[in-house]
Amino acid sequence: MSDGAFTTARLPGASAIHFRPVTMERRRVRVALILVSLAFLALFLMMPLVAVFVEAFRGGLPAYWEAIFEPDAAAAIRLTLLVAAISVPCNLVFGLAASWAIAKFDFRGKSLLNTLIDLPFSVSPVIAGLIYVLLFGSQSLLGPWLKSEGIQVIFAVPGIVLATIFVTFPFVARELIPLMEQQGRGDEEAALSLGASGWQVFFRVTLPNVKWALLYGVLLCNARAMGEFGAVSVVSGHIRGLTNTMPLHVEILYNEYNFAAAFAVASLLALLALFTLVVKSVLEWRYAEEIAATRRH
Amino acid sequence: MNAITPIEPGASVALGAPIDVTIENVQKAFGDTPALHGVSLDVKAGELVALLGPSGSGKTTLLRILAGLDAPTAGRVLFGGEDALGLRVQDRNVGFVFQHYALFRHMTVFDNIAFGLTVRARGERPAKAEIRKRVLHLLDLVQLSGLDKRYPSQLSGGQRQRVALARALAIEPRVLLLDEPFGALDAQVRKDLRRWLREIHDRTGHTTFFVTHDQEEALELADRVVVMSKGRIEQVGTPDEIYDAPASPFVFGFIGESSFLPVTVVDGAVQFDGAPLDLAALGTPSGPATLGFRPHDVTIVDDDQPALTGQIVAERRHGGARRLDVEVGPERHRVEIDMAVEHSRREGGMVAFRPHRWRIFAR
Repeated sequence: MSDGAFTTARLPGASAIHFRPVTMERRRVRVALILVSLAFLALFLMMPLVAVFVEAFRGGLPAYWEAIFEPDAAAAIRLTLLVAAISVPCNLVFGLAASWAIAKFDFRGKSLLNTLIDLPFSVSPVIAGLIYVLLFGSQSLLGPWLKSEGIQVIFAVPGIVLATIFVTFPFVARELIPLMEQQGRGDEEAALSLGASGWQVFFRVTLPNVKWALLYGVLLCNARAMGEFGAVSVVSGHIRGLTNTMPLHVEILYNEYNFAAAFAVASLLALLALFTLVVKSVLEWRYAEEIAATRRH
Repeated sequence: MNAITPIEPGASVALGAPIDVTIENVQKAFGDTPALHGVSLDVKAGELVALLGPSGSGKTTLLRILAGLDAPTAGRVLFGGEDALGLRVQDRNVGFVFQHYALFRHMTVFDNIAFGLTVRARGERPAKAEIRKRVLHLLDLVQLSGLDKRYPSQLSGGQRQRVALARALAIEPRVLLLDEPFGALDAQVRKDLRRWLREIHDRTGHTTFFVTHDQEEALELADRVVVMSKGRIEQVGTPDEIYDAPASPFVFGFIGESSFLPVTVVDGAVQFDGAPLDLAALGTPSGPATLGFRPHDVTIVDDDQPALTGQIVAERRHGGARRLDVEVGPERHRVEIDMAVEHSRREGGMVAFRPHRWRIFAR
């Protein structure tokens, strides 16, 4: 066949036909859809975020620094960091263990465990907090014993840590389970047949295979641990300088009409959220190939 | 330059001659579902054995039991006369190659192959230079020299499977186990790798089991073929024995294209529908039997000799011949026969034929 057969597209009249992919909308529709999305994002995401920073700096930079370095605020920041530093590693270990068990082994009660991991997502954080008050408070069964041992859980740091762990425990596991299930057991079996011990299999094969998902999970878990309000509010007791985390401190300042200080501390939390997003995007961009390779062979 | 230097034995593994493998009455059930009903098999040192069967025949289960990845419900497995079932998978020293390669995706080709050596305890681990030497030698053996810094995702399927084999060979296994090693590859690559695997085996001499559902692959590659069905061994034999003297209709049917007809054996002669066919059935006891033949082992009969007669219900081109679907006898048993393209019989017409090669199976 000669090339002449393919010249029909250049015939007069034929150039008027514009082919577009069947899944592509018309230009007008595309523009409208994009504008609607942008407007929505601007209204509900960008404006509040901008408002936080505008309000925070309303009193000028000195007032901002003062609000952040004032002793109660500093204590709240320290407590928030402490709680995150305890609860995130706990959930990292728990999430890894649970996803390893669920994805790589068959056992009785597996689907129950799988469902329980989602429980904190479906239970209101306030109820989560109340459960710990009922369990460890002074009116509880354990209350008198805890009191006699001199251990204070509720209205103290241990309670805040417990509530935070409860609320944030699905994040790591939920990120890892689908990936590990999809990767299957072949790599582990290969490593075992090559003579690797259980720990070697875990640290040299299983863990590297999920490291990016694990990092995502930890980032999300950390953001939530620092920002959690409801559950922590119930168990904290709002003692200034002692049991106030950053979100609780923001609320107290706000209720006292100290708006500039409230927004200053709130801006730190907003910065944390932005930082999390940036790190996540940078990782995705920088390691796109490697991330894709761990999902697919 | 290309001369292959022998792989030097590792510090810990006393790698001598290849070992015998004995499988004694191995049974396996998954819950209430039986997967293997008492399988026994003797494999000589250095043999290349194919486990051939359809899916669900238990061939992969048997392979995984040999590797230690599954435990049998009952039975014994001996490696060189020693009980192997008491050993953990790590201590069994088997090389296992998976259908989907199972290469470690975050490691380079070099690190993949070196894995089995680097995980050894400090006292047994070869020195770094020694590991390097061995890995590069293996890469040469599997014809992938120069690709040591690549990642698995940068390799083709055939290359990945060769890396997987090199990785399995690196630990100097006593037994090499391959689970559908070419199952995920396309036809041309399969053929090349088949020939190549045979060469590697002849050079390294491991006792080797490989699982396949491709009878062509099994017959071409193996010293002996073990045909399995529904958790049982149907037949064990050389490729010639399996092809020329299949022990059961199942083996006959699985090994190639085939047609079956219910017949009666009377004093060593075959009758179909009460009429003698002039086919000998020496050694088959009188009584009902099954006649099996292959479509291309059929002669069209144009004279009055005894023959099978039937109506052509479908006709199609099949390679160099014409393939006919023919309904034979009052119960309209459907068989397939090949006919030279020049013949002019068409759908709806009648045809008389007789197999010139056949098998009789007593029922």
